[in-house]
Amino acid sequence: MTYSDLDPEVVQWVEMLQSPDLNDRLVAAKTLQHLGDEDTIESLIVALKDDSPKVQEIAVMALWEMANPVAIPPLLACLSAAHEESVRVEALSALKEMVSPDDLLTLLDAVQIEDETVQLNVLILLRKIHDAQALPYIAPFFESENPVLREAAVVTLRYLNQVVRFEPALALANDESEEVRRSAILTLGHLSDEAAVPTLCSALITDADWQVRRNAAQAVDLHATKDAIPALTSALNDDHWQVRKFTARALQRVADDTAIPSLVKALSDEYSDVRRDAAIALGNLGNPDVLSALKQTLDDPDRDVQIFSGRAIQKIQDKLAETTNA
Amino acid sequence: MALATQRVDVPVIVDESKCLEKCTACIEVCPLDVLVKNPETGKAYMKYDECWFCLPCEKECPTNAITVQIPFLLR
Repeated sequence: MTYSDLDPEVVQWVEMLQSPDLNDRLVAAKTLQHLGDEDTIESLIVALKDDSPKVQEIAVMALWEMANPVAIPPLLACLSAAHEESVRVEALSALKEMVSPDDLLTLLDAVQIEDETVQLNVLILLRKIHDAQALPYIAPFFESENPVLREAAVVTLRYLNQVVRFEPALALANDESEEVRRSAILTLGHLSDEAAVPTLCSALITDADWQVRRNAAQAVDLHATKDAIPALTSALNDDHWQVRKFTARALQRVADDTAIPSLVKALSDEYSDVRRDAAIALGNLGNPDVLSALKQTLDDPDRDVQIFSGRAIQKIQDKLAETTNA
Repeated sequence: MALATQRVDVPVIVDESKCLEKCTACIEVCPLDVLVKNPETGKAYMKYDECWFCLPCEKECPTNAITVQIPFLLR
């Protein structure tokens, strides 16, 4: 597009955007952002390579507001380590709103660029596309030397539709980095691969990091499989209250009578959330043997616990009445 | 609207050393139209002491020349 095609009001600002004076370029970029004229996209894309990071940042914001897909490849280029962090952050925010499934191939090309900053940001963007075609491109990052990339890859895996199992994700459950293990465990919960349950149970009991153990409890809850009951029962004695809380929550869906002693013990836990979730789990079990233990929690200092204990007792009594009537 | 006679007391403080003469970003975004250019210096200042503390002037300034002093009770 030539200047003659542009609105006369815009031409002076487009020309000023190429001025050697930084202040002029700043004013021009800001004014073009306010004008929001689609015909100035090319000039703003050129401004993404300006010497000043501030001009680049304003150009990114202007392109973001215009939301024209033409700007996606140049904005992806702004994610490289060559740009200031403020520009990268702005470009990533812009791209998060602008990318659509149509841009999958562009993103897959970008993820192969040998720049860890670009790769990390593109892995984040791929979460918005949800397309399983991205899997072969994500796979190499599971063996990356950079733990940040391994973590980003395993989180992205969670967002891909139709992916049921992926062996390298299992390996990351034993990664040396805690952050990677935390994310890997949660991802294994979201994939419906039953083969992951033993790994999750093992992490729930043996991992040194409490957040990994908590995520393992959440992941087991997502799987809702009876095979995990022994591990969950054992995890009810964990040192960290959040692990005990999410374990009790998982037992609300899958418990059997073997979990009763641990759940009854959890009714006198130091933390009210654990007591409440244990009461709900016992109510769901419907075993009348726990009624006396539940009745003792009716005068719990926490109002929430009192309410849910009452409901649990009611649930067991209703079930009992049904069986008697039958 | 009361004229702001003492510029140091108004909530919108413009750092004149950073303010660009050709730029009018803050003036354009102000919903109350209380910012104007000083014709002598070409720098922006708060002409009327009325402010909603909505902050676009501070956010839009390309050189971060504007500081809006939000009253303690509004923070």
